[in-house]
Amino acid sequence: MPFDLSWFYDIPTARAALLMVGAFVAFYWAGAVVVRPFLRIFVRRAPGLNDLIGYILSCFCVFYGLLLGLIAVTAYQNVESAEQNVTREAAALSALYEDVSRYPEPHGQDLRWLIRDYTRYVIKYAWPLQQQGIIPEEGTIRAEAIFDRLLDFEPKTSGEEILHAEALRQINHFLECRRLRLHSVRAGLPRAMWIVMFVGAFFNILLCWMFDTRFLTQLVLGGILAAYLGLMMYLIVDMNQPFRGEVSVSPEAFELLYLRMMED
Amino acid sequence: MPVPPDTQPLNRGAVTRRETLRSGVAATLAAARVLAPSLFVGCSLGIPPRAPTVRIGLLHSQTGPLAIGSTSLRDVEVDAVERFNAAGGILGFSIDPRAPDTRSRTDLFPKRATTLLDDGAVALFGCWSSASRKAVLPIVEERDSLLFYPVQYEGNESSRNVIYGGQVPNQQVLPALDWLRSGPGGERKKFFLLGSDYVYPRTTNFIVRKWLAGTGVEIVGEEYFSLDTEDFAPVVARIRERGADCILNTVNGSGNIALFAALAEAGIDPAKVALVSTSVSEDDLRSMPAAHSAGHWVLSSYFQTVDTPANAAWMAGFRSEFGHDRVFGDSMEAAWCLINLWKVAVEQAGSFATEAVRQVFAAGIGFDGPGGRMTIDPATQHATKHFRLGRVRPDRLCDVVVSSDGPLAPDPYPQVAFPGWKCDWTKGGLQPGPEVSIDG
Repeated sequence: MPFDLSWFYDIPTARAALLMVGAFVAFYWAGAVVVRPFLRIFVRRAPGLNDLIGYILSCFCVFYGLLLGLIAVTAYQNVESAEQNVTREAAALSALYEDVSRYPEPHGQDLRWLIRDYTRYVIKYAWPLQQQGIIPEEGTIRAEAIFDRLLDFEPKTSGEEILHAEALRQINHFLECRRLRLHSVRAGLPRAMWIVMFVGAFFNILLCWMFDTRFLTQLVLGGILAAYLGLMMYLIVDMNQPFRGEVSVSPEAFELLYLRMMED
Repeated sequence: MPVPPDTQPLNRGAVTRRETLRSGVAATLAAARVLAPSLFVGCSLGIPPRAPTVRIGLLHSQTGPLAIGSTSLRDVEVDAVERFNAAGGILGFSIDPRAPDTRSRTDLFPKRATTLLDDGAVALFGCWSSASRKAVLPIVEERDSLLFYPVQYEGNESSRNVIYGGQVPNQQVLPALDWLRSGPGGERKKFFLLGSDYVYPRTTNFIVRKWLAGTGVEIVGEEYFSLDTEDFAPVVARIRERGADCILNTVNGSGNIALFAALAEAGIDPAKVALVSTSVSEDDLRSMPAAHSAGHWVLSSYFQTVDTPANAAWMAGFRSEFGHDRVFGDSMEAAWCLINLWKVAVEQAGSFATEAVRQVFAAGIGFDGPGGRMTIDPATQHATKHFRLGRVRPDRLCDVVVSSDGPLAPDPYPQVAFPGWKCDWTKGGLQPGPEVSIDG
């Protein structure tokens, strides 16, 4: 994002939406009071320009609406993709836990402890950090510890060899998903998209200000448009970072896994 | 005829721009006044307030050969911090534990310690081997910070910047020697000293030699092995050949697996030849077949089998967070007591500052831990510890066979080994005696 809006994600959903909508409407109304009188002079001097502005506005709204829609879909896909990675990571960890449970002791027990510890860390420490847009560091140490301990094991039978090969496959898959999850902590729409979105919203409002209508009509109709723009912007901002805000990925997959591990 | 201005009829059906603005502003202000308290409580926009945090550093190896034992210490400390935070933190501050990985490498301990202190850690908890502690010592002394060290060690050290939570020889090895020489201990007369080749075993065995001198006990052998030694068969043959009836084992790490196996394969009967280990915990026993370890002896201040309500409550609390198959050991209990003692000290000091906390320790404070009460001796900054000698059961836990009546006071400089050396931080600190060579 072109500027830091991290504080925005800490605001409860309803208030954040209200704030964004309020900001857009207030901006529109302020402009209607301050800017509109000057723009109206320009429009009044050219008869028929009001119709032209209406035509341009409707064309502009179509393109801008499409852009916003596509961006909203992209942002949602980012959230969904992050969610899939989290589910895959938890699934790989679960399969690894099952594999190492068949290892001889003390390797099996050590690995179960380490996997449980990793899962617990992800839920209790990594997730709150991710929700602040911070990439958790100590999870890497815990993942390395699992990998290290797994490599310490030397299979002695063909059955153990097969089991060990499967465990190594699972841990590699788990590490891959983990890297993807960490990558998506700070993932978001590119700066150019934000600029186009906000400039587009401004042009939309500018065209509305140029309309020569009664003041009250201007406030009401323009206010509704501005409110909807604000709502769309809120939706995109909220979904922009997969682990932040109300519309975000939850640690539920890890929580379910941890509960199952603790039942053992 | 013109109508006077005050009698002109008003066009009440038309809304002027000025009136709209005026009523709009009035309505907005009224709405803001009504809604603001619930929408933007305390101007925080509803953002939940975050407690101020204070950072502490946990210096443990989470990968490498020392990882499993050290990781358990980290877990215990994290568990303690979580309980502190759940209860409102310390002095209103939430505690933020940072645990970088020292990778079982001595050279990384001082580097990680420096980074943690640079990042604002108010105290450090951890280190495992004496080498790692000695590597961190100059850092905490230079920065005037506090290191809480939870592992039993050889003594012969005292620093104003370290709180020692493990046993020193007079709380562990020396009472065991006295018991082994007594009737109930089998009146053992021929001791074989076996250890890993580093400072702890060598210093401990030096103290043992001095302690046993003139008691009628014969030391029939003293040998040291590198930490990665896996073949103990030759030394076991020598132990048998020399007729030792007690092996004092200061081998550390995975070498114990090979040693216990070699003894079992040689048919050494634990009932006749007592293997007394100083650096073996229930955690290490998991790695051995029960047939190799059952009947041997382990020296510790705490065993998982200590039957007290405090121990049961501690284990249950820890297991509910970290898993019901977790095994407990001496250093874990010491780590738990030390971090709780730090909390007590900070709360009594009303500050996280090193000097303020140290002043509280200097006044003498204690904590009722799972293994009994632990008090920090103001003179030496070492912990008072129970002495316990346990015998390994077939399920690889230990039955406590001998224990001290209460916690034993620490003596990091036993006069029999370090004559003239004294330490009393309440009276001027360390008073060095004549130089002592442990190889002499």
